[in-house]
Amino acid sequence: MRLLRELSRRKLRTTLTILGITIGIWALVVFSSMANQINGLVSMGTEFYADKITVTDGVAFGTSPMRLTDADTIAEVDGVAAVDPRVEIMWEADPAVGFLPDTLNGGIPGADAGFESFQLELATGRMLTVEDAGNVVVLGSSLAREHAAVAGESIEIRGETFEVIGTLQATLTAPDTTGYIPLSTAQQLYITDLPPLVAESLNAAEIVNQVIAYPDAGADIAAVASAIEAAVENSATMTGAEFEETVGATTMIFNAIIIGVATISLIVGGLSVINTMAMSVAERTREIGIKRAIGGSRSRIVRELVAEAGVIGLLGGLIGLGLGALVVVLVNELTRAGGTVLFDLTPTTAAFAVGFSTILGMLAGIIPAWSAARLDPVAALRYQ
Amino acid sequence: MSLLEGTNLRKTYRMSRRTSVDALRGVDVSIAAGEMVAIMGPSGSGKSTLMHVLGLLHAPDRDGGLAPGLRFNGIDVTSLSDRERTRIRARSMGFVFQSFNLVPTLTAEENVALAAEYAGTSRSQARVAAREALASVGLADRATHRPMELSGGEQQRAATARALVNNPTIVLGDEPTGNLDSARAAEVLALLRTFNRERGQTVLLVTHDAEVGATCDRIIRMRDGVIVADERVPARATLEADIFRPTASSTPVAAIPVPVA
Repeated sequence: MRLLRELSRRKLRTTLTILGITIGIWALVVFSSMANQINGLVSMGTEFYADKITVTDGVAFGTSPMRLTDADTIAEVDGVAAVDPRVEIMWEADPAVGFLPDTLNGGIPGADAGFESFQLELATGRMLTVEDAGNVVVLGSSLAREHAAVAGESIEIRGETFEVIGTLQATLTAPDTTGYIPLSTAQQLYITDLPPLVAESLNAAEIVNQVIAYPDAGADIAAVASAIEAAVENSATMTGAEFEETVGATTMIFNAIIIGVATISLIVGGLSVINTMAMSVAERTREIGIKRAIGGSRSRIVRELVAEAGVIGLLGGLIGLGLGALVVVLVNELTRAGGTVLFDLTPTTAAFAVGFSTILGMLAGIIPAWSAARLDPVAALRYQ
Repeated sequence: MSLLEGTNLRKTYRMSRRTSVDALRGVDVSIAAGEMVAIMGPSGSGKSTLMHVLGLLHAPDRDGGLAPGLRFNGIDVTSLSDRERTRIRARSMGFVFQSFNLVPTLTAEENVALAAEYAGTSRSQARVAAREALASVGLADRATHRPMELSGGEQQRAATARALVNNPTIVLGDEPTGNLDSARAAEVLALLRTFNRERGQTVLLVTHDAEVGATCDRIIRMRDGVIVADERVPARATLEADIFRPTASSTPVAAIPVPVA
C-alpha cells in the first residue's frame, strides 16, 4: 500500500510509464492470440490430414481434373486400403482469397467409412447418403453460422437453391468452411466453371479433382504416396507429414514476426521503466539518504525500488491484457458473422503477458535501484 | 565504561582532483554510556564529520597517518562492511537531523515504523512500536498525518520518535533544534533529556547553539578538525528538562508549559 501511494504521488510519470508497458503488452496479447489461433488451425489441419494421402493432378496444382478411373488405379496401388474420390470447388464461382476459403466438396458418402479417423459430428439434420442427389448440402459450422441455416432450410449457392439437410459441429479446420454435396452435383458445378471449350471435351460423370487415399494400417505412407504418383500419370500427392512441413514453415515465419513485433514494443516499454525509475531515484536522493542513515540496508533499498518497478510492470501488464482481451473479443465478435475467428486468447498467453511485464518492470528497475543503494547516505542527505 | 571510543579519527573529503578538505585531523574521543554530550564548534570545524564517523555513516580514513580505531559497545567497528555498519545503525542507533528528514509520502506512524522494520521488527509489531513511540513524544493523535501536515516542531518530535523506536543505545542528533523556534527547540531537547534520564540512552548532539550545549552533561568543542576543549556542564542548566514529563497520552507537548530559556 505504501508502494502504491509512492506511485500515486508521481501520477503523471507513473501513468506514462504504465502506458508504455501497456502498449507493449497489448501488442503481445493481440499478436499472441492471433498466433494461438493460427497454430490451433494448423494443428487441427495436421490432425485432419494425418494418415491420409491427398492425390491431385500434378500439372496445375489440383485445378485441372482427374478421371474417376484414376481412383480405381489408386485403389489398386499396394498399401492403399480405400479411396474416396472427390470434387472440391470454391463456394463462389469467383472466390475471395482467404486462409481457409469456403468450399463445396462432393464425394461418395461412405467411401471413407472405417478409414477416416477425423470424425465429423452433426449439429442438426443428417449426413449425406448415397441416395442423395441434386441440390442438397451439409454445411460446415462456419458456413451454417454465416448463412444462419439449420437442417430443413434452403440457401442459395451459385444462384441455385440448395436444401440444407444437415449442419456440422465446429472442427476448427477445413470442414468448418466446407459444404458437402453429392458427387454428381459437384461434378456438374465443376464443369460449368470450366471454359466452354475445355468443358465440351469432358464427361461430367467422369470428373474428380481429388482422390483421398487411405493407406493400410502400418504402411509406409511416404512410400505409398510415391507408388501412387508412379501409378497415375501427372498426379501429385500430399501426406499429413508434408502438410505439416509446408504449413509449419509458414507459421514459424509468422510466429517469428509476431514475437519480433511484441519484443520491440516491450523493449521500448522496458526502457521507459528504466527512465522512470532513474528519474524517481534522482528525485528521491534525499529520501534514500534518510532510509540508509536510519538503517535501511542496500539490499532493502534495492528491494523497495525493484518492487516499485515491478508494480509498474504489473499494472501495465494487467491494463495491456485488459485492452488486448477487449480487442480480441470485439474483433472476434465482428468477424464471427463472416465465419472467421482471428484470435484465441488462452489463459497461458494471459498469464505469460502479465508475468512477463512484471518481470520486465523488475529487471528495468534493478539498475536505477542499484545506483540508489550505492549513494553515500551523508551526501544524499545533503542533496536538495 | 565508554560506549563509543575513537582514536586517531581522520577524514579528508576530496572535493576535486586538486582540492580536498581535512575535516578531521586526528581526533581521540570517548563517549560514556548514559552521557548526554554536545559537540560544538563553528562551521567547518569538523563537528558533523565527527558525528558521521561516530554514527557509522562514514568510515574513518585508514591511510595517511596512524591507524584509526573505533569501538562501539566494546566491538571494533573501524573497518566493518557497509552491511554490518548499516545493521548497527538500524538496531543500536537513532538519528535526528536538522531538517527532520521524514519520508514525505509516509504518515508519521509509517515513518517511525520504517525504522523499526529496518531493525528487523515484523510489520505489525513495527506499527505497534511506532504508535507507542509517537505517544511517548505526545504525537499519538497525529500518527496518520503526513509530514507536510505537521508543524516543524511536530515533525521533529516524529523524527525523535523514529530515532527512539528501537530503544537504541545511542541517539545522534545533527543540529536537531537548528530549524525550530526556541520553544519547539526546548521541547525536543526536553524529550531527548527525558529519554536520556529515564532509559539511560546516550545522546550525542552536534550544535552551534550554546543553549543546547548548556542542557547537556558535557561539551566537546572543535575547531579546524581537532578537539580544542572537552568540558563538563554544571548540573544547574539541565533543570528545565525535568519539567517536561512525556506521558503515554495524546496530550500535545505544546500544551505543557515549557519555560523558554
